[in-house]
Amino acid sequence: MKAIHGNKLAAVTEMKLKALFSKNFIIMPVFAIGLTFVMKLVYGTVLEGEAGIFGKAYALAYGALMNICMTGVYCVSAALAEEKEKHTLRVLMTSSVNGTEFFLGSLIPVILMVEAVNALLVPLAGVTMDAAGWAIYLGISLLAAIAGAVIGMIFGIFAKNQVTASTVTTPIIMVLMMVPMFSRLNEMLGTITDFLFTGIMMHTVENIVDGSRNPVSVSSLVILVGEILLAMGIFQVVYRKNGYDSE
Amino acid sequence: MDKEYIRMEHICKRYDKTPVLKDLNAVLQKGEILGFLGPSGAGKTTTIKILTGQLKPTSGEAYVLGIHVKNIDETIYEQIGIVTDQSGIYERMTVYENMKYFARILKADGKRIDELLERVGLEKHKKKPAGKLSKGQAQRLVLARAVLHKPRVLFLDEPTSGLDPSTALDIHRLLMEMKEEGMAIFLTTHNMEEAEKLCDHVALLNDGEIVEYGTPRELCLRYNKEKCYKVLLENGEEHVLKQTAEDIERLSGWLLGNQAAAVHSCEPTLENVFLTVTGRELR
Repeated sequence: MKAIHGNKLAAVTEMKLKALFSKNFIIMPVFAIGLTFVMKLVYGTVLEGEAGIFGKAYALAYGALMNICMTGVYCVSAALAEEKEKHTLRVLMTSSVNGTEFFLGSLIPVILMVEAVNALLVPLAGVTMDAAGWAIYLGISLLAAIAGAVIGMIFGIFAKNQVTASTVTTPIIMVLMMVPMFSRLNEMLGTITDFLFTGIMMHTVENIVDGSRNPVSVSSLVILVGEILLAMGIFQVVYRKNGYDSE
Repeated sequence: MDKEYIRMEHICKRYDKTPVLKDLNAVLQKGEILGFLGPSGAGKTTTIKILTGQLKPTSGEAYVLGIHVKNIDETIYEQIGIVTDQSGIYERMTVYENMKYFARILKADGKRIDELLERVGLEKHKKKPAGKLSKGQAQRLVLARAVLHKPRVLFLDEPTSGLDPSTALDIHRLLMEMKEEGMAIFLTTHNMEEAEKLCDHVALLNDGEIVEYGTPRELCLRYNKEKCYKVLLENGEEHVLKQTAEDIERLSGWLLGNQAAAVHSCEPTLENVFLTVTGRELR
């Protein structure tokens, strides 16, 4: 692994953070916030009492899922694609920034954004959690954000512009979002959900709201960490073969 | 040796079986400008990519600041600057921010940002989003960014391509200043006037091969086979004289009689030299 220079990492992180707040990207967390708000209103109107609490949990879970997929996966992928489209990636890499610094600088702002928005979604959805609930929720959210961001980076390598980034990430985002959302309607989808980091995130939210003593099982944690390691491994292979640009 | 910033020895590059560069040899010294002159597709950009570690040569040796190009890693970029017409800018950021982040990456003195922006005439645009700059202004920003850290070697790939003459002139002036400060500049261009004006040495590149190498004057004189002189007389008449006893006598007569308004030698331009050597035009 290459040495990481604080000045370079800080500069790339700040540049990426600025990009994340541009209208092309900020729309994604805003969508997640909007979805949570609308879902809470819908469930609040339809469900009452104890059912209403689960309605809020669903609103939070769906919002968090969307945030992890759209901000975590899509924004990372599209931001890398934009660097290639605007010919700034080569400029950065020929300005003494190494691959590790670029990787971390690209992921850190997105992961922080996912984490901050997921935290905001809790009161927005009307869900209340104790300290342990918060810690577990934010911990699982962080791991899911890391997994999503690394996947976004892998797809970004194959995207030469933002349109392609959107095209190549849509199928995986659909799988990561839709399978957990419809897991209750189909047994097979339910089984697959148990092995998706987005599914684990959703179940964790439901369990926290349900008051479960162990909102997240050890096996789920192992799967989550395993998926991060798998994504990192795939990224390493793809990066060694293509760099950040497969063209 | 410590003044020799770039050395290329028998550099070859092949894509599959197609040769792109054939046996390139050249040296660039401190405070010099070396021009690689050739039409599109001659291999100029490939040469820059090899010298900056972005592409590996198929064979041959090349050294930049004493480091073999095969051993180049990202740390070399702290000592070199690269400008190509494909060098992008962060359009959403202001001109100043574009400079600021690279100054931080390259550990350049922040004071140099304003100094450089003034030198390239972008001082009053520093708060403008870089995406709103004209092509000429953007190219000047790219150049200013590339020299923020006072690189020892600057690679310029068609730096004035598509720019208006006034912007090109500004860039030429800046390059000459930096050369005077000791920077070595590796310039590729298909603009022979630019090469003649700026370069200490030029290599004429055709189909990946250096077909001529020397100072612009050497090359022009080397191909000045039929010496001739263009004479403009006070009465407006124009004459082209050859190196013959009769024409020399005519010229002497006009000079002695103070009838000559202007005399120009007709040695070939680099473009003519290129045409003579390769049978094809530069553009």
